[in-house]
Amino acid sequence: VSRVNASVARPWAGLDALVEPLAPGPGGEGVEAFLSRTLAPGAYAAPFAPARLEALRGLSEALLAHPLLGRDPATTAVAFWMRPAAIAKLRASFDARVPSAAGTVIVPVGRVFHLAPANVDTMFVYSWALSFLCGNANVVRLSRERGAVVEAILEVLRGTARSHPLIADENRFVTYEHDAEVTTALSAWCSHRVIWGGDEAVATIRPLPLPSHASERVFGSKFSYSVFAAPAYAAASDAQRQQLASAFFNDMFWFDQMACSSPHLLFWVGDAAATTAAVGAFEEALEAEIVRRRFVTQAASAVHRRAYAFELAADADVRVRLGHPGFVGIEVRDERGLERTICGGGLLRHARLDRIEEVAGYAIESDQTVTHFGFAADALTALAPALGARGVDRLVPVGEALAFDPVWDGFDLFADFTRRIRVKPA
Amino acid sequence: VISPARERLDQPPFSQPQAEKRAWLTTAVGALTRHHYAHSSTYRDVVDRVFGGLDAVDFSCLEGLPFLPVSLFKTHALKSVPDSDVLKVLTSSGTTGQAVSRVFVDAETSQVQSAVLIRVAQQFLGRDRLPMVVLDHEDVLRDRASYSARGAGILGMLQFGRQPFYALRPDMSLDLDGLQAYLERARGQRVLLFGFTWMVWQHFAEALAARGARLDLPQGVLVHSGGWKKLVDLQVGPERFRERLREVTGIPSVINFYGMVEQVGSIYFEDELHHLHAPVFSEVIVRDPVTLAPLPDGEPGLIQVVSSLPVSYPGHSLLTEDLGVVRGADLPGTSLCGRSFDILGRVPRAELRGCSDTFVAAPA
Repeated sequence: VSRVNASVARPWAGLDALVEPLAPGPGGEGVEAFLSRTLAPGAYAAPFAPARLEALRGLSEALLAHPLLGRDPATTAVAFWMRPAAIAKLRASFDARVPSAAGTVIVPVGRVFHLAPANVDTMFVYSWALSFLCGNANVVRLSRERGAVVEAILEVLRGTARSHPLIADENRFVTYEHDAEVTTALSAWCSHRVIWGGDEAVATIRPLPLPSHASERVFGSKFSYSVFAAPAYAAASDAQRQQLASAFFNDMFWFDQMACSSPHLLFWVGDAAATTAAVGAFEEALEAEIVRRRFVTQAASAVHRRAYAFELAADADVRVRLGHPGFVGIEVRDERGLERTICGGGLLRHARLDRIEEVAGYAIESDQTVTHFGFAADALTALAPALGARGVDRLVPVGEALAFDPVWDGFDLFADFTRRIRVKPA
Repeated sequence: VISPARERLDQPPFSQPQAEKRAWLTTAVGALTRHHYAHSSTYRDVVDRVFGGLDAVDFSCLEGLPFLPVSLFKTHALKSVPDSDVLKVLTSSGTTGQAVSRVFVDAETSQVQSAVLIRVAQQFLGRDRLPMVVLDHEDVLRDRASYSARGAGILGMLQFGRQPFYALRPDMSLDLDGLQAYLERARGQRVLLFGFTWMVWQHFAEALAARGARLDLPQGVLVHSGGWKKLVDLQVGPERFRERLREVTGIPSVINFYGMVEQVGSIYFEDELHHLHAPVFSEVIVRDPVTLAPLPDGEPGLIQVVSSLPVSYPGHSLLTEDLGVVRGADLPGTSLCGRSFDILGRVPRAELRGCSDTFVAAPA
């Protein structure tokens, strides 16, 4: 017997028993009532309306003031991203997408159902905030397995919602057991569904039906890497090297190196001698940065990455360095060492290339971010079409791998969260 | 190829003081390192690629020798003999979906494993084969596919007992009437009982207590092995475990042991001080889980097990995922020479998911 009747237009009778509201609750209107209310055709909600900017400003301040979150770099990043100055830049880029004279009016897509990933704590905030800015009602599904950071963010959201009623009116952050019927019922409500969560989540959720007028965006599993110019590294000062190590630390160690954009491989472009010297110096600088930040490896991560390193050494011509307490460094000397298996937890593979163009030969469709160091803008611009045609979505400087961008995996989330109404006078 | 462990089969396995034992074992395991390097291409690759080749290895101490993580036996077929010499392939336990270890054993390794196991076990159990109660059900021996490690553990212990009685029914309930009848027939003799730690607790000690039954086994010896995790969850430590068994059975001698399918024969029994004890044939080293630096006695860390036995597979030096601590060597209070140590649990599986456990202190 189905717990949720999917045959009627509003198949969410019974959802309140299956869905746990996390924010803005507790109390008040249940999920079923929320879905029914927000389904009704509403008044036009202007993207970037002042009340939305105010709500995000309040959220940003509350996140930074939180004793735990204020020290969490990833949360700090999302909080800075929601500050008025940053939102103003976002708005400029939004406005630039459609020149106002072109006879186009932008309206919210309406109702967005976000399925957040379990591996990147803060991703749900970015996805939700962009959609909220665009004027949509939102249901955000979070994993049952939530760490301390996500719980604290939800706590802050509940508090902020009390002073910003728009958050409570238009949004529900919920969780439920993996249950296709619940996902189907929530999907019946939405006009856009976005699945953040890797191949497995996409494969499970994508087959579940959507209303005929709804659109969908899915983000499958991705692999990311870096490309460094060995001569540029050789020429860099100690201060520049330390700065680079610090930026790379963020890219590599946030989210346990398990985000789609976390680098796993580092291609060095240069001759063998320069590369060997650079690899050694870079690993030393990275270890020094780990010590400076007092970053402590968990025993479980150390065991995990060591097991991966030995497995790779049994299969591929590599040189493994177990001597760094903060990470495992591996020099790759044949193709088999370049496989796209993700270790995470602090493992970095190095490989050497003669020319930057060879990176394009490696790229495939499931690749996402390439972070770079030491290349001129024109070299990168020249590389981008070849790299992009094969799959890579972003070329960004080291340190910005995890920086959120409304263009994600090559798709414009602003476009996803809005509709364009063409207006043509007679 | 002859296993170096044979050189010590004629001596009592706990008679050599630690320094002497170390000197011999270092030579023996160093020789095994060269042997496996010459005969297993995968081992050679790993030693070259992770440890910088044999030239970079410090053969002067056990801590300087290369090691493999025990997990590598789950992903790779590690062999130092031609396929035609493989007598049997041992496999580890594994819950559904988990990879299992595969251990390739030839005739020489198998013989040495048995010989060493018998010599070490006799030190604790005596030379006579005793009437034996298996605290499990007999079906685990038939259903080899799903219970290979449990079955193999029982088969290994059966050689120290005779006329085994299986005290559990297939539904894990205790056959108390059958057990009491068996013990009646063995009255006046020493009796050996064997089971896995968790099952001894749950399906024997607690089952007896639940029925208000009490056995009278002042000559019993209970040997048990396996993880403590479930007992730790119940806040039952080794002392409580022994005490409980004394309450419900009167058994004075409860002996834990530690071993793994990747080093069959290299087995560690609990000594008079209730620590696990390394015989001459093998050694435990405790390392920092992250830096791998060998740790001094008393400091907990990751357990490495070193064995002079295996010639058919490179399992002579393995980094386990168990946590433990060395208590000392040739300790007063035990008649046995060699290292005493405790197992403290297992490194939790890496849950690489989010940043919640990786807060970074902002540098000043």
